[in-house]
Amino acid sequence: MKKGIRKLSFKNHVFDIINYSFLIMVMVVTIYPFLNVLAISLNESVDTIRGGIYLWPREFTLNNYFEISKYDNLITGFSNSVLRTVIGTVLGVFIQAMVAFTLSRPDFQGRKFVSTVIVLTMYFSGGLIPGYMLIRDLGLMNSFWVYILPGLISAFNIIIIRSFMDGLPMSLQESAKMDGANDFTIFYKIILPLCKPVLATIALFIAVGQWNQWFDTYLFNSMNESLTTLQYELMKILDNTSMGGGQDANLMRSTNEQQNNLVSPESIKMAITMVTVVPIIVVYPLVQRYFIQGMTLGAVKQ
Amino acid sequence: MKELKKIFSLIFIVALLSFMVACQDNEEDVASDSGDDDGTIELTVFDSDTNSDWEEMKSPVGQKIVEDTGVTLKPEFDIEGGQTKIPLMIASGEYPDMILSKGGGQLVEAEALIDLAPLIEEHAPNIKKMLGEELNRLKWSKEDPSIYVLTNAAVENQAMSPNFGAWVQHAVVKELGYPKIRTLEDLESVIREYKELHPTIDGQKTIGLSMNTDEWRIQSAFLNSGFMMTGGSDDGEYFIDPETFDATLHYRRPIEKKVFEWYNKMNAEGLLDSETFVQKHDQYTAKLASGRVLATIGPDYLMYEGQSALREAGMEERMYGQYPVTLNEDYVSHAYHSNGLQAGWGISITKDCKDPVRAIKFLDYLASEETQIMLNWGIEGEHYEIVDGKRVIPEEEREKRNNDKDYLKKTGIGYNFLRYVPHWGDGVVDSTGQTITVNTREEAIKNQTDIEKEVLAAYDVELWKDLYPAMEEFPVKAWGAAYNISIPASSDLKVLNQRALDVTKKLVPEAVLTSPDQFDEIWSKFMTNLEKNNIEKAEEEYTQLIKDRVELWNN
Amino acid sequence: MEITRKAYSKSSAIQKKKKTFWKAAKNQKMLYAMSLPFVIWVFVFNYLPVWGWTMAFQNFTPGISFFEQEWVGLDHFIALFQDERFYLTLRNTLAMSFLGLLFGFTIPIIFAILLNEVRHSLFKRTIQTITYLPHFVSWVVVAGIVTKMLSTDGGVVNDILMGMGIIDQPFQFMAKENWFWGIVTVSDIWKEMGWNAIIFLAAIAGLDPQLYEAAKVDGANRFRRMWHITLPGIRPTILVVLILNIGHLIQIGFEKQMLLGNSLVVDYSEVLELYALNYGIGLGEFSYGTAIGIFNSVVSIFLLFLANGIFKRYSNQSVM
Repeated sequence: MKKGIRKLSFKNHVFDIINYSFLIMVMVVTIYPFLNVLAISLNESVDTIRGGIYLWPREFTLNNYFEISKYDNLITGFSNSVLRTVIGTVLGVFIQAMVAFTLSRPDFQGRKFVSTVIVLTMYFSGGLIPGYMLIRDLGLMNSFWVYILPGLISAFNIIIIRSFMDGLPMSLQESAKMDGANDFTIFYKIILPLCKPVLATIALFIAVGQWNQWFDTYLFNSMNESLTTLQYELMKILDNTSMGGGQDANLMRSTNEQQNNLVSPESIKMAITMVTVVPIIVVYPLVQRYFIQGMTLGAVKQ
Repeated sequence: MKELKKIFSLIFIVALLSFMVACQDNEEDVASDSGDDDGTIELTVFDSDTNSDWEEMKSPVGQKIVEDTGVTLKPEFDIEGGQTKIPLMIASGEYPDMILSKGGGQLVEAEALIDLAPLIEEHAPNIKKMLGEELNRLKWSKEDPSIYVLTNAAVENQAMSPNFGAWVQHAVVKELGYPKIRTLEDLESVIREYKELHPTIDGQKTIGLSMNTDEWRIQSAFLNSGFMMTGGSDDGEYFIDPETFDATLHYRRPIEKKVFEWYNKMNAEGLLDSETFVQKHDQYTAKLASGRVLATIGPDYLMYEGQSALREAGMEERMYGQYPVTLNEDYVSHAYHSNGLQAGWGISITKDCKDPVRAIKFLDYLASEETQIMLNWGIEGEHYEIVDGKRVIPEEEREKRNNDKDYLKKTGIGYNFLRYVPHWGDGVVDSTGQTITVNTREEAIKNQTDIEKEVLAAYDVELWKDLYPAMEEFPVKAWGAAYNISIPASSDLKVLNQRALDVTKKLVPEAVLTSPDQFDEIWSKFMTNLEKNNIEKAEEEYTQLIKDRVELWNN
Repeated sequence: MEITRKAYSKSSAIQKKKKTFWKAAKNQKMLYAMSLPFVIWVFVFNYLPVWGWTMAFQNFTPGISFFEQEWVGLDHFIALFQDERFYLTLRNTLAMSFLGLLFGFTIPIIFAILLNEVRHSLFKRTIQTITYLPHFVSWVVVAGIVTKMLSTDGGVVNDILMGMGIIDQPFQFMAKENWFWGIVTVSDIWKEMGWNAIIFLAAIAGLDPQLYEAAKVDGANRFRRMWHITLPGIRPTILVVLILNIGHLIQIGFEKQMLLGNSLVVDYSEVLELYALNYGIGLGEFSYGTAIGIFNSVVSIFLLFLANGIFKRYSNQSVM
């Protein structure tokens, strides 16, 4: 018996060593793109053209960030982006969880119908023009709510939450029902607190999606500077500095004064990536703890 | 029940909030529309290009324009070239006052634009003076000779640097004693000789010829060299016969096969960068900037990032000179073959415009000689001075012009406003005999490096453009540039062109990279594939479009 | 009991069913209140715009009214099914999405399970944070890095292979058609593995810790615990994600393929969505683009129902 345990723990150690080294290797491989972006964003922009920047800047500078910061509307854009992320995430998580809850109830008659109607939305779209006309006809043009309302129901998220809820013991609900609680109370008081890991995940998905979205600003609110978002402003900066236009770019830059003021689009691109990612990294630990640690022992029993 | 109330109150709050937001927006709209009483007006304009230098009409030049005209522009700068937003505008039927488009086909078909011809006739003497006879080129079609799009191109432009060429490092020609570089053969032997002498540069392998072929750039640099090396001028994917106006997909001219055969030979001998068709734009640029690419071929805008990096790094001898190379001496470079007035892209006034007369008068104001001078030089006494009757930029101001990244934004000079109207090109002189733009020969020479001057002197010229046949040597193209012809929506020419391009992008690089004994085979496969994709029909239709255009313009 | 119920006359059964339906519905009014408003919601935002599909049967011209459009029946579909290039891009799409399903789907699961075995909280968090970062680096940048790594001109992969003596000439990875699908798959795993693992980490976090404690007492080793507790525990999530992914088999985006591809490998890199862009909206051909979109949707929904049906039958797990 004693011998058996020792053998087991030896095996465990071997496993740990292999596992840890494997994960460290994965980490080394996946951190590279990010460090590379960081290094280039901190490197002098004309020098970057020469290539060969890997993990460390060759000619350190903060100019690429200053270059971005001199554009207007960044503050407005930032606050709108934060606002849409917060509102969109809170509303989104709550409503999607609520719909998921109804779908997780085996006794719910509308289950099949509701889930089919919602899941199918993942696989088709009416296209750009009808979508645009709809938003216009609903009067959502030039309004903040166009950031929140159209994407409020995400089929993918709902299904993921539902599959998590399916794993919770039904007995909890039944005993609550005995006590006379209605379905909303059961959802709000019992199920929701148990779903923290999956809700944190969904919150992350929604928040990242909201934070990175620029196309809706471009389509619906581009004429209204007070509703601009950070990503759209960054997108404009990127488009300004890159020379994707070909012939017309040549025309635009044929004056001497512009030729001498080359800003490498590469550097700006990298600095923009950092500006986008850093807020996410800062906020990330808040949600991460919910799905990285297992549940505490008592949580389910309660 | 209580919870049900909760849900409804939530929904109610959301509805209330959105209602409030909506009301708020309406108020703003009302506020911005007013202000017509005191003679000022705000004109909205959808601009298909971005502009990071937009100064919101607050710069000295912008202020002057508002003062003179009472017009404030409110532009929306698009980041997708109008590709997305113009169809959406049409679908919703709501337009800004003016639209700057890259070809107004869809807008014209939707009857969104008004005819500018009578407006120009009545209210725009300066535009009429600037364009003269060439105003004809703005007519839409044989059936509908209205003017819907007022070009925003440079008029009578003589660019200081040619738009296409073979680029060779100064160090190479200097060491080899300034050999003549006129034909592909010359170019090849220069590259070969230098590469043999210096198999490595700064410890890295020497690369003979490399090219920028990332995505769309493969057309501008590599594929266009087919006609550029055989006496064609830029008409996109087609070659237009100047006499008969027959359009041929340019690869189908038998002579062009020789050009691509040359690339094939270069590849077989290891003189062509083996990564030519694989590398990304920044890889290519980094190679140029490392100083070990002896030569490249293409337009200047695809390689000047590399040039700038070399200059910045003090590797001036590794920078490039530009040579008018062609297949053999029977052909000359048509880089300066003038298209005449470029029609196609430009500004339009929509049917929703608040005051079309005001709009055209505003555009006409921008096109006047006085305004044109202001848009290029700035405001007298502030950005330039008049010394002995000549415009002079003071040294201090010149310094700012060259080094201040925000100069255009701070002053309003340049493309902030020039982009909305046809404007005088480089080399055109005003009524006092001075150039209207700041780009002069002297200016270009001033910008050269020492070694560049040395090389140019050895070839007995002052500027690279002096090596090229001048604009006067070619008659103006009667059809303009074929690539900006607008293809009717009902025609399947667009699809046929896309198919031809797909075949080309695949097979021409394949032909170049194959072993020389298989080149013929792949080339004829290329030709058959084009025919299979109905290229003859496309050529016929294109020819018809060209002929219609010539007829329209010359009546 | 069952049999006697069946013996009832049909009509009364329906009667009764109706009655019980409404009775139950009344009991479930809260569930209805919690879901039906959002069915209406998706109806407005997702289903209403489907009128746009009519474009596929017209020669759609923006700006003129619905009734003035020229109707062409199935012309656009016929043109689509007669185009060789369509089949080529369909093949490439399916090939890359199957590879994605095989590796891009399973590797994040394995990664999540292995990560769960780490007991150091800080180490676990660090690894998790770092591996999801590449998700935020755009494909333009990642494609640039991949191309540089595989370059014959000082690319790190060729340098290593040559240093180890495996090859003596640099190998042109990016110019070989046969390698393209593999390069896309590996790049995708590299970029998205950490991100895609998050769902599974969350599912693992929801498992009852008592199960692990019990297994420990029983003397089950690590592998057995992973195999018998973790994996079955997250099985519902795995299957659900799998079903949804199968529905997406032909909708895989085009960005990575376009950015990693070049003219030498285009016969293996062009996917359906890029084809739709090049020959549809890119040419102003809204109708053709819509026809391709409809094809995509129909196939996707078919695949979804197929996968859903199969898994429902054999694993009792479904999304609808």
